[in-house]
Amino acid sequence: MEHQQPDYGTGQKKLSIYLIGLFSCTVLTLIAFGVVMAGSFTKAEMFITIFTAAIIQFLVQVICFLRLNTQTEQARMNMLSIIFTLVILVSVIGGSLWIMWSLNAYMMS
Amino acid sequence: MHAEAIEIHEHHDMDSTDVFGFWLYIMTDCILFGSLFATFIVLNYQGMLSSKLKNHIDLSTVLVETFFLLASNFTYCLAILALYKEKIRHVQAWLGLTFLLGASFVAIEVNEFIHLAKEGFAWDLNGQASSFFTLVGTHGFHVSCGLLWILIMIFQLPFIKTASIAQRRLTYLGLFWNFLDIVWIFVFTVVYLMGAM
Repeated sequence: MEHQQPDYGTGQKKLSIYLIGLFSCTVLTLIAFGVVMAGSFTKAEMFITIFTAAIIQFLVQVICFLRLNTQTEQARMNMLSIIFTLVILVSVIGGSLWIMWSLNAYMMS
Repeated sequence: MHAEAIEIHEHHDMDSTDVFGFWLYIMTDCILFGSLFATFIVLNYQGMLSSKLKNHIDLSTVLVETFFLLASNFTYCLAILALYKEKIRHVQAWLGLTFLLGASFVAIEVNEFIHLAKEGFAWDLNGQASSFFTLVGTHGFHVSCGLLWILIMIFQLPFIKTASIAQRRLTYLGLFWNFLDIVWIFVFTVVYLMGAM
């Protein structure tokens, strides 16, 4: 059989990719904590920095550690289901915040 | 095709379906965490309420916690690499290290919870406190389950004779363990960093 090492849609196992992942996650975590702990930035700057760092770190972890890709049929199924989950998450979290903050704004006026 | 080859091929397909099912479970777990995050944000960041949590956050402890979890994620990946080279002793050693790092993470978190409760920020104080302990506690509970699972795998590995079964089981555990680290990114960003701002 040519499938000696089934990857279950989780891509190739390579030390170099894991090391890149570890290094980028370390840097991004330090940036996020550093910005808040320094205390010399405005709230908007901190907010944008920590969320940008979190989203980049999410992508790095998904690509380098979960090894999500579109190479095989199964990997594409995994990708499809994570995209569907993200759509649900956006509607659940975004929708809740939208409703609750609108209610809050009406109560205050 | 030989009968044996067909059998292996079918077996592989079945494994693939199993792993996909486990992946779907993780996706539903994402939605569970999503609703906990939504609850936490609604109760903590309404603007008018002053968050009591802010006075109790110690960011340097959280940073140490974060690195324990990240390091355990990496050592788990090394265990997977050793597994594909069929060095069971190395796999066990890396899994053992992963277990220790994960256990340190849980120990710091439990310590933090006890500390918070002693300072008067107990889980039954108000909605903010409840949502904080539910969100962070659910993540900690998942990590504890992962630790138990790692421990079981360490002792079970020498008895698994078929390489593909060991690979499949460690793939499940790997997906679960990486997923927990991904959730933690959002926990420290939304709960701790935003809370300390």
